[in-house]
Amino acid sequence: MNDALTYIWLGILAVFEGPAMFTVLSLGVPTALVMLFFGLLLGIAVGATPGLAGPMAMAVSLPILISVFGVAPDALLPVFGFLIGIMKGATVGGAVPAILFNTPGTPDAFMTTLDGHPMTQRGTPKRALKIAHFSSVSGDTISDIVLFVCAPFLAVMVERVLDLPEKTALILLSLSFIAAVMGKSLGKGLISISLGLIAAFVATGQTFHPRMTMGSDTLSDGFPLIAAVLGILILGEVFKNIHDMWLGQQESARSIVEQDKEADGLRTGDIKRILPYIARSSAIGCLIGTLPGVGSTLAATMGYTLGKARHSKLKAKDAKGFGDGIPEGIASTEAANSAVSGANLIPVLSLGIPGNAAAVFLILAADSIGGFNPGPSVFRFTANEVNSELVIAFGIFTLMAVGNLLNWTIGGVFMRSMGVMAKVPNRILLPVVLLVTITAIYVQETSLAAIWITIGFGVLGFYFRVLDISVLPFVIAFILASPLESTARQAFAASGGDPWFLFKSSVAMFLLLLSAIVVIYGIRRNNRER
Amino acid sequence: MTTKSRTNLVLGLAVIVLGLVAIFIWVPMDTGSGIVEKSRGKLKVGDALAPTLAFTLLIGSGFVVLWERHRGAAPVSVSIRSHLFIILTLIIFAVSLSLMRWTGPIAVESFGLGIEGGQHYRELRDTMPWKYIGYLTGGTALISAFISIASRQFRLSFLLIGFLMAVAMIVVYDLPFDDLLLPPNGDV
Repeated sequence: MNDALTYIWLGILAVFEGPAMFTVLSLGVPTALVMLFFGLLLGIAVGATPGLAGPMAMAVSLPILISVFGVAPDALLPVFGFLIGIMKGATVGGAVPAILFNTPGTPDAFMTTLDGHPMTQRGTPKRALKIAHFSSVSGDTISDIVLFVCAPFLAVMVERVLDLPEKTALILLSLSFIAAVMGKSLGKGLISISLGLIAAFVATGQTFHPRMTMGSDTLSDGFPLIAAVLGILILGEVFKNIHDMWLGQQESARSIVEQDKEADGLRTGDIKRILPYIARSSAIGCLIGTLPGVGSTLAATMGYTLGKARHSKLKAKDAKGFGDGIPEGIASTEAANSAVSGANLIPVLSLGIPGNAAAVFLILAADSIGGFNPGPSVFRFTANEVNSELVIAFGIFTLMAVGNLLNWTIGGVFMRSMGVMAKVPNRILLPVVLLVTITAIYVQETSLAAIWITIGFGVLGFYFRVLDISVLPFVIAFILASPLESTARQAFAASGGDPWFLFKSSVAMFLLLLSAIVVIYGIRRNNRER
Repeated sequence: MTTKSRTNLVLGLAVIVLGLVAIFIWVPMDTGSGIVEKSRGKLKVGDALAPTLAFTLLIGSGFVVLWERHRGAAPVSVSIRSHLFIILTLIIFAVSLSLMRWTGPIAVESFGLGIEGGQHYRELRDTMPWKYIGYLTGGTALISAFISIASRQFRLSFLLIGFLMAVAMIVVYDLPFDDLLLPPNGDV
């Protein structure tokens, strides 16, 4: 227990006593906190801009951050601070255009439009925004507390129970789960997973011959992680959106705010009436967030649906219901989608398995800088020598807690001033995102070939979207391919070359059985939905 | 059979064929070791195992897609216009990146030789204004072309927007940082 408290304290000190960016009244202001602050503002602005999303901002910021802070261990907390700020800000900002313009800033804010925009039309946009902010930050805070408590315990348990074959089986279970739950088709989820693995296996291996490069020198070091991730996640999305505009399938008209009809601002009793909905949706969000790949849109939908069912039972017969513009509707959605963000980091910090796009960029940052490898080995509470990775982990938790404080205080004010971002037309914004992305790639890789590789993955991402294939399984498989292969190699060698090494341990057998159950569930779910 | 349902059929068959070609031709010919290798009397996993298993999974997923289609999976379609869009996209990138790569050197060769006493672009790639010429022309072309596609019309104002955005990128990425190189200055 004392070791744990010591590490928590060291994590807090790493943030507050880290290198100072500048001094105010002869007190140094820690760089990590300054970066967190600016990341939060950028995240809110990006979340409030339809067509942009937190991962896009994380993607284009990462090369700049690495150039500014370098790849020394000192860089970890400032870089993580900025990325965490974006992640937190974007969850709040997504509600702004949903409420003001009936256009969700992020996909998970779609349900917010159902009650948020009617409130705007009744002349109470400020009240709707304040409800959204309170609910979103509450959900995020609860989610972070769940993360702080669960991640270390899960990691310690995993490290004690799981050996090499079990870790191999766990990665296989994660991949099966992601293939089964993401998208509408198990087959397409598996295509996404297998192509992600195949792309990651190019030019890796243990012999001098770089495998599957077809003799290309450009590919002799494999596909750069950042090029693959940004290509399929960002360029693919931008291509698809521009394609839809080109075909005239995307409307750009946004509804206009109607004249004031009611007094605006929070009313007495507003917070009390939404608290039960926040609590229920936060629990749903946390639960869904712990599962890799499920995502905040499902959490928002479930939070809204369950909140609606509860409200329709309790409300007076002639009272307004969900969809008519009531605070409970906004609270149910915003608390649920925000509660996913912290819990989503549980699999990445405790198991090294990224659960969402934001976690992918945290892994990318850790991979680029070095000195921190997210996974169960991070949470080794060593007493004799300081485990620097554990200090960083508690530094991350500290940054998240401070991020919440900032969100509670200045986040609401900044969020309510961001309505203007929704007026930037997508037809201008998206081409700019293209240039920003290829510039970010070049700055990191300094090679035009890397830009072409990114474009290639962008084209793949475009066809994935056209064919209704989820892209996140591809990215997660791309990241997990190397640990999967190396763990399996080591387990095979340790077993003395036993091809059945995965079936020799009861825990590994159990995890493989779970994988099979998950795949069967995916098949049955698809059948039910038809 | 509708056109829409054919897309899933083609997708399923394509990944099966790709998987088979890879397992029987590509992977064996382009990996340094087999599925399992014997080294110093011990069995080791070879470089071919992981890709072979991944392609086997790909084949399996192709069969699942075909089975789902048979069970009435939601149809998808890829129109000719989608392929045209991608061709157009690649052409725009080819032109923009060529402008990015070559306008700087061409400008130096055309004007810079007299000014800088016989220097080439490589020596001037970190010098104003030469280092920005390629990025500005290529960036302007890229942004204005995609705005034109998204708007389904061309206006001169799009060129101005593209130019201003490229300038903004220079302000963000290049002016504050001495060690960052904008395209194409890192590999000319």
